[in-house]
Amino acid sequence: MLATIVRKEFTEMMRDGRFRSSAAITMALLLGAFALGWQHYSEVNAQHEAARKSTRQDWLHQGDKNPHSAAHYGVYAFKPKMPLSLVDHGVDPYVGVASWLEAHKQNEFRFKPAQDATAIQRLGEMTGATVLQLLIPMLIVLLTFPAFSSEREQGTLRQLLSLGVRPAQLAWGKALGIALALSVLLVPATLLGSAALALSADQGAMAASWPRAAIMALGYLAYFAFFVAISLAVSAVAPSSRFALVALLGVWIFNGLVVPKAVSDIARLLHPTPSAMEFARQIEHDIENGINGHDTTDQRAEELKQRLLKQYNVDSVEKLPVNFNGIRMQEGEEHGNDVFDKHYTALWQTFERQRQVHELAALAAPVLAVRSLSMSMAGTDFAQHAHFAKAAEEYRRVLNRKMNLEIAHHQKPDDSGFTRGEDFWATMPDFQYTAPDLAWILSRQRLSLALLAGWMVASLVAMAAAAGKMRV
Amino acid sequence: MLEAQNLSKTYSGTPALHPLSLKIEPGEVYCLLGANGAGKTTTINLFLNFIEPTSGTALVNGLDVVQQPLESKRRLAYIPEQVMLYRNLTGLENLEYFTALGSTETFSKGQLLAFLDEAGLPAGAAEKRVSTYSKGMRQKVGIAIASAKGAKALLLDEPTSGLDPKASNEFSALLKRLSDGGAAILMATHDLFRAKETGTRVGIMKHGRMMAELRTEEFGHADLERVYLEHMHD
Amino acid sequence: MLFNIIRNDWRNLRADRSLWIIGALLAVLIGYGVHNGGAWVRFQQDTLTQAAEEEAGRLTLIKTSIESANAGRANPPSWRDPRNPFAVGNTQAAHYVSMPPAPLAALAVGQSDLLPYYFKLSLKSRDTLLGNDEIENPVHLLSGRFDLAFVIIYLFPLLVLALSYNLISSEKEDGTLAMTLSQPVRLGTLAWGKAGFRALFILALSTLISLAGTLASGVNLSAAGASPRFLLWVAVVAAYGAFWFAAAVAVNALGRSSATNAIALAGLWLGFVLLIPALLNVTVKALHPVPSRVELIQAMRVASDDITRQRSQLMAKYLEDHPEFAAATDDSMAQYAIRTAAILDELDRRVQPVLATFDEQLTLQQAMVDRYRFLSPAILVQSALYDLAGTNLYRYRHFLHLTEQFHAAWRTHFEPLIARNVRLTPAHINSLPRFHFQEEPFQAVFTRTTAALAGLGLSALLAAALSAWWLRRYPVAA
Repeated sequence: MLATIVRKEFTEMMRDGRFRSSAAITMALLLGAFALGWQHYSEVNAQHEAARKSTRQDWLHQGDKNPHSAAHYGVYAFKPKMPLSLVDHGVDPYVGVASWLEAHKQNEFRFKPAQDATAIQRLGEMTGATVLQLLIPMLIVLLTFPAFSSEREQGTLRQLLSLGVRPAQLAWGKALGIALALSVLLVPATLLGSAALALSADQGAMAASWPRAAIMALGYLAYFAFFVAISLAVSAVAPSSRFALVALLGVWIFNGLVVPKAVSDIARLLHPTPSAMEFARQIEHDIENGINGHDTTDQRAEELKQRLLKQYNVDSVEKLPVNFNGIRMQEGEEHGNDVFDKHYTALWQTFERQRQVHELAALAAPVLAVRSLSMSMAGTDFAQHAHFAKAAEEYRRVLNRKMNLEIAHHQKPDDSGFTRGEDFWATMPDFQYTAPDLAWILSRQRLSLALLAGWMVASLVAMAAAAGKMRV
Repeated sequence: MLEAQNLSKTYSGTPALHPLSLKIEPGEVYCLLGANGAGKTTTINLFLNFIEPTSGTALVNGLDVVQQPLESKRRLAYIPEQVMLYRNLTGLENLEYFTALGSTETFSKGQLLAFLDEAGLPAGAAEKRVSTYSKGMRQKVGIAIASAKGAKALLLDEPTSGLDPKASNEFSALLKRLSDGGAAILMATHDLFRAKETGTRVGIMKHGRMMAELRTEEFGHADLERVYLEHMHD
Repeated sequence: MLFNIIRNDWRNLRADRSLWIIGALLAVLIGYGVHNGGAWVRFQQDTLTQAAEEEAGRLTLIKTSIESANAGRANPPSWRDPRNPFAVGNTQAAHYVSMPPAPLAALAVGQSDLLPYYFKLSLKSRDTLLGNDEIENPVHLLSGRFDLAFVIIYLFPLLVLALSYNLISSEKEDGTLAMTLSQPVRLGTLAWGKAGFRALFILALSTLISLAGTLASGVNLSAAGASPRFLLWVAVVAAYGAFWFAAAVAVNALGRSSATNAIALAGLWLGFVLLIPALLNVTVKALHPVPSRVELIQAMRVASDDITRQRSQLMAKYLEDHPEFAAATDDSMAQYAIRTAAILDELDRRVQPVLATFDEQLTLQQAMVDRYRFLSPAILVQSALYDLAGTNLYRYRHFLHLTEQFHAAWRTHFEPLIARNVRLTPAHINSLPRFHFQEEPFQAVFTRTTAALAGLGLSALLAAALSAWWLRRYPVAA
């Protein structure tokens, strides 16, 4: 029985010119988006790889100089891209591409790619995520809204039910028929997407990508299932096809356009971020005056001096067995680190709270759940950007410490010409970033996963219930 | 007065109406009989200028409906099988709207209510929304629209099908009054009994062709049914 | 006749309550949009006020420090001496140059959440201008803001379509069309009467609420240039609404069912608002790619490494070009200042070509968008609204241009002081160059927006002409 219904729905849909043309357009857009994403990924990755090598070479060949000058010279950190970013660019256009790791200062990531673009980018980007999150649901709505209502209007529904078909069975049959028709579109797209993935990534990145790709695909399937089920449910209870269509378009707009934007503003309202000026000023203030507000730089230097004199039991800094300047700079560095930690932790906590608002808002719009999941699997969400930023900052601190300690232990107080060369620079290992593993990422997506699953189950239940209550 | 001169309609090669000539004088009620698809509604649509004739002309009071679409419509009234009105408006508001569109005169509320009353709409229904009306009540609003307009020609498309015998009888009485007032009436119907009762002439159509024309006073009920069935046989 | 149609339509809509629901929905959306835009403008204004206060305090502090140093109460090292012109010009008296939000900025956030609106300027290299972003959660940048422009570009057409997708088709489906057309009424009169009335309703409501929201969000319409901008704004919204109404009538005129009309119009909306902009964006980026900023970083590093290596030659050459500095070379601080200036000049000279390619490519992109924006009314409206609100690339680049001019003026002001090794007095601090943002000439904004307006009007006329053409062959009796 079920198989018969599925076959009829599938056949009907495949013969429908509207399905064929809209599916062809969607498919073309999806593949186009994948191709563009693939090109973008390989280009950016090659660039970053080259830049990463060159910043290391610059570091090694910076010439003989004082280690502190070397720390000022610093290195750049470029965030590597994950292969799956070809599907979903996530926040990548809206975070800086590189950070300068220099002495004394934790720098922001600079140069957001979106700043080098015209305003139409804000109207829409042709990415896999756009097609998957907005266009395919629209396609589902347009194909599914008349499923029950037009059968009722044509009178075929009475016929069917008079034959003893249970309404719920009919609903499941229709849902599967639509799913089958959609798979005609999605299976080749997935295969081609995977091929692009396999072409673009090296073996190591590939191995990590497959499970992520699978989870991403499951997430999107759940999201599509929601749209199929909700469309069938509305079609079953709507007084007319026209009503069903308008109601479902309303759902689509609310889900895809209104909520994501409205939530951003609500999140900002609930958890405001400081202005960049205020943020910088507080950092400057704390560095100058100490975290507790009454330890000025000079006082701290004086305290350090007394402590060292006492520790080594000498009466002037010149007699210290270590270079006082090196120790003082490292102390300053560590104080700065504490200040940066305090402020960046607070800022990122605010971002995290804003993210939680977005996460919870998936209760109103499932697109937020699937977007979050998709970005995280693509490695383009803010959490993974922050993870990289933290690793880069960690490297900056190790580098500075190494430079300062070199001074502390080897520079004679009267040796103003103290330098180090390439041999020493080479003892500072290259910055190696290990992206977080799947467990780390998934642990941050629990709520999104749960809500996505919840939406799918709820919509399927609603579909069965609506079919049961259907007027004939 | 309604007149068709060699009026015909062809849909992409398939004739829906073969050249038809017909003249309905004031005070006459002409009933078009025939199976579904015989060309009855096509004829009415041609008089309404809802579709363009392939050849020939349709005249309302001597006005060509294609040349003078608005002038000709000023003189006619149309009552379809279902008089479709705006559901969320009252009967009175519907009447007001359609007469305002159709007639050069403006009527007071009392006059409009009088039209509805004459048409037999139950007292008090005029101020209720049309969505609460029965089919018979809506037909009566249709009659009221026609009489308020003072239409010289009426086009009726199966106006009594689906009405109960009493409502159908009332409708015929109203029609008689309009015809006595000098209107030319063209009515498509399946109801042989009603055609004999109300009609002055009957035309039997088949496959878009006029097969026979009879005057109702010249024969009885049984004769009409026999003639009709004869023509329906192939 | 038209009046009767409109009155009847009004009665129907009133009874249907859909007009009220849609009107209320629009009011809520507009209110929320304007509120968000207003909050962002206030945030920017507060920040700029803080900046000005901070700077004023700093300048006062410099003046008192000068006095206490002159009186011998303090003896700062020369690199922190407030009387040293280089120390003052390079850090201490750094000046905030800012682009205050334009009068209508609260109505469209545009690109302003992404681009800097102030710089802290000093003698330092121009490339410090490159990284001065406001703090914002990138997820919010990705979603964009819920402002009035969003409501107008995306949601306004949908409300228009919701009111008009079944303008004629529903009358046909309900059978009232035949009843009405059996009266002496032209189909065109009926269609335009209904559409026009609804358009007037929505338009009156949008204007009214925009105006109320604008005033509520603190926009001062009597500010210079505000009222012509607001009028243009209303005209753009009206033309956009007219386009969608005409499109709805055109689709209705094809005589299909209400459901088919809804699909067709939803498809049109999706195409104009989402697909064409996305495809144009992709095309523009492919044809005029902006180089990667990673390359810029590398170029800057190479240049500064080179310069460091050739420091002494550079210095000699600089002194040749600027003989006025020669006298100051015995003072070590002045020497440092001169060396810094020399390095700066050289760095600017070297990085300039790379920076210029960014600028050129972006200019080409913008030019192409400006040319092809006529493909979609949504892009036309976006470009016009952002322009009128002063939150587009044009005003930002105008600001950058002024900033660069000011940077040059700042250097010209300080270089002679450094060269002559002048000891600064409080009078010097009082007469520092100040930056005043000059609005882009209204003429430029006017030209760009009226072009968009003309495009919108033309699209509306085209749709109306199609409607009129199709209405003539409308199958009343199918």
